[in-house]
Amino acid sequence: MSRSSFYQSETIALHSGYVPESDHGSRAVPIYQTTSYVFDSVDEASSLFNVEQGGHIYSRISNPTVAVLEQRIAALEGGTGAICTASGMSALFTTFITLCSAGDHIVASAQIYGSTATLLRHTLKRLGIDTTFVSINDKKALKGAIQKNTKLVFCESIGNPGLEVSNLPQISNIANAEGVPVVVDATFATPVLTRSFAAGANVVVHSVTKWMGGHGAAVGGAIVDGGNFDWQASGRFAELTEPYEPFHGIKFWEEFGPNALCMKIRAESMRDLGACMSPNNAFLILQGIETLNLRMQKHIANAAQLAEWLSEQEQVSWVNHPDLETNPSHKIAKELFPTGAGSILCFGVVGGRAGGAAFINKLQLASNLANVGDSRTLVLHPGSTTHSRLSEEAMQAAGISEDLIRVSVGIEDIGDIQNDFAQGLKAAQRLVAKSDTGSK
Amino acid sequence: MKLDVNGAETHIATGGKEFDPSLPTVLFLHGSGLDHRSWALQTRWFAYNGFSVLAPDFPGHSLSAGEALSTIEAAGEWLASLLSAAKVKSAHVVGHSQGFLGALELYKQAPKMVRSIAGIGTSAVMPVNPQLIETAQNSPSKAADMMNRWSFGKTIHMGTSPTPGMQPIAIGHQIMSNNPLAVDLQACGDYQGGNTILPTISVPRTLILAGQDKMTPLKAGQAAAQAMDIEPSILPDSGHMLPIEAPKEVLALLKDFILISENNG
Repeated sequence: MSRSSFYQSETIALHSGYVPESDHGSRAVPIYQTTSYVFDSVDEASSLFNVEQGGHIYSRISNPTVAVLEQRIAALEGGTGAICTASGMSALFTTFITLCSAGDHIVASAQIYGSTATLLRHTLKRLGIDTTFVSINDKKALKGAIQKNTKLVFCESIGNPGLEVSNLPQISNIANAEGVPVVVDATFATPVLTRSFAAGANVVVHSVTKWMGGHGAAVGGAIVDGGNFDWQASGRFAELTEPYEPFHGIKFWEEFGPNALCMKIRAESMRDLGACMSPNNAFLILQGIETLNLRMQKHIANAAQLAEWLSEQEQVSWVNHPDLETNPSHKIAKELFPTGAGSILCFGVVGGRAGGAAFINKLQLASNLANVGDSRTLVLHPGSTTHSRLSEEAMQAAGISEDLIRVSVGIEDIGDIQNDFAQGLKAAQRLVAKSDTGSK
Repeated sequence: MKLDVNGAETHIATGGKEFDPSLPTVLFLHGSGLDHRSWALQTRWFAYNGFSVLAPDFPGHSLSAGEALSTIEAAGEWLASLLSAAKVKSAHVVGHSQGFLGALELYKQAPKMVRSIAGIGTSAVMPVNPQLIETAQNSPSKAADMMNRWSFGKTIHMGTSPTPGMQPIAIGHQIMSNNPLAVDLQACGDYQGGNTILPTISVPRTLILAGQDKMTPLKAGQAAAQAMDIEPSILPDSGHMLPIEAPKEVLALLKDFILISENNG
């Protein structure tokens, strides 16, 4: 059960947002592959444009298939509403640009996805929005970084790829006390493993490309409004509390209250930025979500077994996963992720970067690619790919060492994954042995 | 807009247009624990089609200051003060659930201020289980959950929404759990005056009822309709939260009723 539904998560994942339509009784959610919608009359058209009634106008703004996905994700998270976007990055950009204007400021965790760091550090800076990066679980650093013009605190539930679990109750206590909302990228967590809003998040963002879809066949993003932040009392959000001229001076907070942010995103950002999700992609993501709960059980069970197995291998110099006691955020991970803190783990191979390369090149089952959350096992060397644009200092702050290999543990048979990794580790060991011999 | 009513600042939604007391006015009254946002998908149409709209938050609810009103009789008195403060001589009054009880008391206390009366998802008597009131006193969030479980019809429970992407149950939970729900429920449970007012209503009147209503069951609404000597409109597949879960149908019925009432008035 979430705050949005009295059904359990497994049931929500299969049903929420759709009742078989009356014309044909289609059990599966239909793909409404259309750009636009016929109005009954000029009056109805006028009503829709003036937000006098709900409904669809143009698929850049909203679409019936995408709306089912939005309602399903909102119900899974317990949010008041959701907006789906073309990708996870567009979900982030849309959120940031809806809440921030030139001259505003963001506080962000230093341990985040490389492209998000680049968006904050370079792209938004170009638009006049500055970001201060902090160690997000450091209370003093977080409090000290919040300024008068700070509009949001941003973190990832589980930092990518440093795997630091954000202490959401602590972060939200500090941020909300200053009138600042907490925006969380919960992609690694999914709505299944943790309750982000109950933990203190105000806005949750997902790349639904990952575990939500699980098939690796469609790119998409989602923004979920927790409806649990008082934009008026904050005093920092004229965007939501003052008249918005393009809609006859509408005041989103007064008019829509707990779903003010979603309505603003729909009315402004989807209209102006156009980063909408295609109905076909929404359909594909919906197919994935139907089995999300089952898949996550297998993902975390495999991740736990693989972490344990890797820890026992002599060719492995270290292993990191939030469920391991060696992870600095292990305690909060156990509180926020009672069944397991996700299926991403990182490890270092003896022989450093060259050893890691030998390991990855030898793999047969696992795929070397820039994605996570696929049902198949995926590996990557972030230092030379996703995070390669970061400076050495930023890499260090993000928890990335040169030998780090990121594994997105899939749902294959765990024995097959271990056998594949064993081959890779042998290759790394041979390289080390050869290099030792050469140096003698 | 903000108005001082009996010394407390009152938030009144006006449907997105500046309030003009010279236009025919529609007064929208929310139900227990809710606020003006219940009417988001009705008020704008009226405001943009020749009417002025007043959709207040009752005292102590959401954006209005003051203490919550502990009796329905006090609500009727307060509504008369609100209309006077807004310089409105008479209004078409639309009440959802508890809001309809307030409308009845307004009619009893100041009949000339009521041009027509419309009740939505409602009845004249609303007994409330004391356990629900006790829960609302101790844990508004838990009580809001209980209310939501009973208040919405099947399609909303299946996660659909008249507004794309939204989740009405979570929105209702957020609003109700931050408002004086226990005071409202107690006022509803205590109120016994409705049945004596119904037969006295001589202005145009209507009831829009829900077939799946578990808060104010259809039978109770139908009994009220009989006492008012009218045939109610019934939306068979909807639950108690009609303005939110069937906004288009409610708006269509209200449009017809208020336009006819206005033209005949």
